Amino acid sequence: MSARGPRPRPRLAEFLAGCRDEAPLLLGVVPFGLLYGIGALAAGMPAWVAQLASAVVFAGAAQLVIVQMLAAGAGALPVGLTAGLLNLRHVLYSVSVAEHVRHLPRRWRLLLAYLLTDEAYAVAILHYQCRPPSAAGPDLRHWYFLGCGFTLWLTWQLSTAAGLVFGATIPPAWEIDFAVPLTFIALLTMLMRERAGQAAALVAALAVPLFAALPFRLGLVVAILLGLGAGVVASRRGRHAR
Amino acid sequence: MSTAALLGLLAVVGVVTFLYRYAMIGLLVSRSLPGWLHALCRHIAPASFAALTAGELFVHGGEVVLALAAPKPWAALVAALVAWRTRNVLATIAVGMAALYLFKVLF
Repeated sequence: MSARGPRPRPRLAEFLAGCRDEAPLLLGVVPFGLLYGIGALAAGMPAWVAQLASAVVFAGAAQLVIVQMLAAGAGALPVGLTAGLLNLRHVLYSVSVAEHVRHLPRRWRLLLAYLLTDEAYAVAILHYQCRPPSAAGPDLRHWYFLGCGFTLWLTWQLSTAAGLVFGATIPPAWEIDFAVPLTFIALLTMLMRERAGQAAALVAALAVPLFAALPFRLGLVVAILLGLGAGVVASRRGRHAR
Repeated sequence: MSTAALLGLLAVVGVVTFLYRYAMIGLLVSRSLPGWLHALCRHIAPASFAALTAGELFVHGGEVVLALAAPKPWAALVAALVAWRTRNVLATIAVGMAALYLFKVLF
């Protein structure tokens, strides 16, 4: 066999490597896409709006939260505030990848920012940190990032569509939308390993009945903010105690 | 909520989310974020999920409903135990839904 020279299409190779390395994470993404599609229909969202939201918002946890709040009859203000708060973590990802993509042209930065989700970030940042650019050629790692982001984007759109098709066949009496709070419960048990997370969740949950009478279900936002405060206080305490 | 209002809401959330993602890549030059923002971001998800779950289980139409014979809180409790033991989202959903159907028949 002849020795392999430089690959003929290095950009495509990087892109496909990103797609391939993103693949294992898709197993965790598909159920959420299905659930979102099913829940959106149950909450009364028109199917085309639900699909559009997957393209415009493109953030699984926030979309599930929007569906749950709409089902609970919340107004636009509390829904927007909660989703805006929940997505705030993307600023952290943005900071983390900034040094790797700052040199790129604007159209690349716009595209990669749009594709910057939890799962794409996790795979791409590992690549950036573990694979220094080869000295031989130009740095093509943004093609890898694009591969991760695109794979996740496509999977999210397709699983949303599948959920919408499947959800339309489920009778309302099955109360399948209850799967959304069940998902939150499952995620909560994973987030509540540390003291501060437990404090945040407990205070937020206890505050909900106290502020239930506020209009547009703004009480949910108040409860979340109180939970945040409790989490910050608890993590400070924990640090001092050590 | 009307479809127009919903579209407006989704557009705002979409733009804000994009700006979060683009903030440090394209807009700001600062390289580091204050420590409190990191701390805050860790707690947003547990606080939000807990509040929404509590709201779903105990608040209906702006009124607190605490009923012993309500199937959903009990199903949620069973689901929480499964989540705690298995740390598996799909198992939690499957057992939680089964518990809901069971309690709806029993109560």
